[in-house]
Amino acid sequence: MFTLVSGAYRYFTRLDEYNVLILGLDGAGKTTLLERIKHQATGVGGMAPEKIQPTVGVNIVKVHRQRRVVRFMDLGGQKDLRGIWSSYFGDSHAVLFVVDSASADRMEEAKGVLLDLARQTELEGVPVLVLASKQDVADVKALLAVKELVNSIADTLDGRDVRVLGASGIDGAGLHEAVDWLLSRMLENSPARPPATSSY
Amino acid sequence: MGQYFGKLFNQLGFGNKEVRILILGLDGAGKTTILYRMQVGEVVSTIPTIGFNVETVSYKNIKFQVWDLGGQTNIRPYWRCYYANTDAVIYVVDSCDRDRIGTARDELAAMLSEEELRDSVLLVFANKQDMKGAMSAAEVSEALGLPRLKNRQWGIYKTSALKGEGLDEGLDWLVNAIKGT
Repeated sequence: MFTLVSGAYRYFTRLDEYNVLILGLDGAGKTTLLERIKHQATGVGGMAPEKIQPTVGVNIVKVHRQRRVVRFMDLGGQKDLRGIWSSYFGDSHAVLFVVDSASADRMEEAKGVLLDLARQTELEGVPVLVLASKQDVADVKALLAVKELVNSIADTLDGRDVRVLGASGIDGAGLHEAVDWLLSRMLENSPARPPATSSY
Repeated sequence: MGQYFGKLFNQLGFGNKEVRILILGLDGAGKTTILYRMQVGEVVSTIPTIGFNVETVSYKNIKFQVWDLGGQTNIRPYWRCYYANTDAVIYVVDSCDRDRIGTARDELAAMLSEEELRDSVLLVFANKQDMKGAMSAAEVSEALGLPRLKNRQWGIYKTSALKGEGLDEGLDWLVNAIKGT
């Protein structure tokens, strides 16, 4: 009897945890987006965008959605810090790749980094959402440029869910959609990458 | 349900809550200098700490209770007596002391494996950046094995406690990181 009750208790208080890695070049706007996601999810006012320093380390925000926890991990994007990323690949369920759509001259570099991620065996089959950030200062053309970037490496990304969306870390436009998309794809992909579990 | 009450409680109560912070690190890393930089905003001359210094620091309307524990080899085992209910650990490293960075890494690893510090945020100060030959933030994080930390929020900032550089940036990050958890 006790086993039944405790088992039921565990079942109903169980929380599935999914990890999303926020990656991209330095200055792409990863931490700004994370702060905005945090603001939307928890109501605490995040850091003002102009006060955000380049990240050395990991910023984490947990978002509760549909009885699940999505843990966003924002890793520093400076060149000599990108080596850190790989130690988080194994536990991740999705990649949120941020591209600064306003800086045309770094598109090639971003493409190289994304291509490298697509080739990682530890990330095989993981859904990738490419977010064209700073949509508040750029126009629709910029979003097209990011789509072209993703299309040009589509054959390497083959066999997984990929999508390009625009978003703004300043006013938060497009972020709800992004989080919804990520969660739905991680759920679909959960037979291949089961979530970690914790309890309330 | 619980999370909504928790959220409400945080929003209403955060301003009054005292945040408990430990400043740890090897002897001579600059912990006490940082503590008094935070509290009075200037450099005071310090002697090696035996035991601890505790001060209340107000920063951005948040009250920090900051514990600075002595870092000498024979008193490090006592750090664990202070771990309970700690919101954040500030780990101070002498960025010029390449010989002992391995020791700093081992002490940090031992500390973070403690159950009582499971949910605390880690802020590393790569201190003494005013001196020649100081390691960069990336070098220090690699040497401390920070990239292998899973399930923990961490950040590293280059600081000079003597000049007062980098401390505010680090504390801004810390305040924000504590709010997010």
